[in-house]
Amino acid sequence: MNSEPIVEIKGVSKTFTDSHNNVHALTNVDLEFWPSTFNVIIGPSGCGKSTLLYLVAGFETPTTGQVILNGEEVKEPGPDRGFVFQDYALFPWRTVLGNITFGLTNNGWKRKEAIERAREYIRLMNLEGFENAFPHTLSGGMKQRVGIARALAYDPLVLLMDEPFGALDAQTRKYMQQELVRIWQETKKTVLFITHSVIEAVYLADRIVVMTARPGQVKGIVDVDLPRPRNYTGDDYLEVREKVLSLLEEEVAKGIKDSLASDNTLFTD
Amino acid sequence: MTKDKIKQDLINLFPFVVVGILWEVIVQLGLSGIKTLPAPSDIFRSAWSLIWGSNVLFHHLLSSLYRITVGYLLAVTLGIAVGVLLSLNKTLHMIFSPVISLLISVPTLAWVPVLLVIMGLGDRTVIMTIFLGGFFAIAYNTMSGIEMVNQNQIHAAEIVGVKGLRLVFSVLIPGSLVSIIAGLRLGIGYSWRALVGGEMLAAMIQWGVGKMIYQARFFNDTAVMFVGLILIGISSTIIDQLLLRRLERWTIEKWGVVAEN
Repeated sequence: MNSEPIVEIKGVSKTFTDSHNNVHALTNVDLEFWPSTFNVIIGPSGCGKSTLLYLVAGFETPTTGQVILNGEEVKEPGPDRGFVFQDYALFPWRTVLGNITFGLTNNGWKRKEAIERAREYIRLMNLEGFENAFPHTLSGGMKQRVGIARALAYDPLVLLMDEPFGALDAQTRKYMQQELVRIWQETKKTVLFITHSVIEAVYLADRIVVMTARPGQVKGIVDVDLPRPRNYTGDDYLEVREKVLSLLEEEVAKGIKDSLASDNTLFTD
Repeated sequence: MTKDKIKQDLINLFPFVVVGILWEVIVQLGLSGIKTLPAPSDIFRSAWSLIWGSNVLFHHLLSSLYRITVGYLLAVTLGIAVGVLLSLNKTLHMIFSPVISLLISVPTLAWVPVLLVIMGLGDRTVIMTIFLGGFFAIAYNTMSGIEMVNQNQIHAAEIVGVKGLRLVFSVLIPGSLVSIIAGLRLGIGYSWRALVGGEMLAAMIQWGVGKMIYQARFFNDTAVMFVGLILIGISSTIIDQLLLRRLERWTIEKWGVVAEN
């Protein structure tokens, strides 16, 4: 953490306005993320953690404050970022190969070179043999591997992952976590990873950012200094888990109380 | 595989054979009570002479096919273009989308008198009617289809810098193809109706299947009318199967975005 941060979030607030009311998703968030670190952002449902990621991606613009990426303010989406979606958001009309080459051919790569590059990532993600398959024929875990390959293939500076394993079953999820650590160690990308699983956070992260209930603020930051590959047990692991959990628990309780009070549903974020 | 296909074709033909035979028997035995109702054998004879005798059937058919091709292709091109435009621009959407959804519910034939006055009694009016028949359904379905494209698929394109026309062609149109194809099918149905009606009402027109049916009225020749009816049924089915059904199979079914039926 000696170098400059690659992503800076400076005094960012985000308010969504519709015809009925204002929703304050984020207030006054200040955060810094350093190159090649694995950062997990965790918080109760509806705390605006996905919003935070969408702001970094440039899909949304902050109401106040700014997001700085590699020294420049984020104004719109761009290929210096890769994004992995919870619902995969693959293009069903493109094959596995076509999904992965999409970001390349649309950024000036020649078709042949794009395919070669895509094949590297197909190998990296253990997707060999499925190059010409259409996404609807793949399982959830495989779809997300395509999603990760698609986001990594054009070599972005940061990888943004919005609850990428949220829709997977427990076994697949565990496997994908192990795979992700392996790939991260190979590529050394800066990762911003959203989850609401503490177990997942402590398994993956160098640094865990705990968010408050809505409106989202930074509640605390937990550094995770455990050697990899990690397992899900052991005293030091459980100690970190406890730390994150205790930060979270108040917020989850608060989130539930607020949502009951304001008649919002719990699970909207 | 091909044996199964032949078997399936025979099964599909079976109901028509049954109805044909029943119809023939009823007419031959005089059970229908309608003297002017032709039997299938009369219709067949009539068709034979229209094809080989007077040679006019193909001329009628080709005239109709020409009109529907021009009118429908215009409807497809402009319908998709307008649908895309309205889905992208909020102001245009606000102004025109209620108008389009209102006009969808106007039967296309209601346009014909207006068009006869504005565009004359010839081909132009018929083609315009066909165009209008297809246009509104296709434009509306394209528009609503694009509005329902998964927002994250659009984000996935935006993050690699894809926007504008490239976004339209690489994500918005393929992403809304289920709805667009539904619009194309609805549109061609409306276009066929418009074709037949338009041909009947446009006085300067001499050729066309609609015209053939209409003219047979003057000779009380119901057999010729039925030839026309059957021809329209067969043509529209063939176009649907050959083009739209195939388009469906090559795209949305292959991509698994719609259940195969």
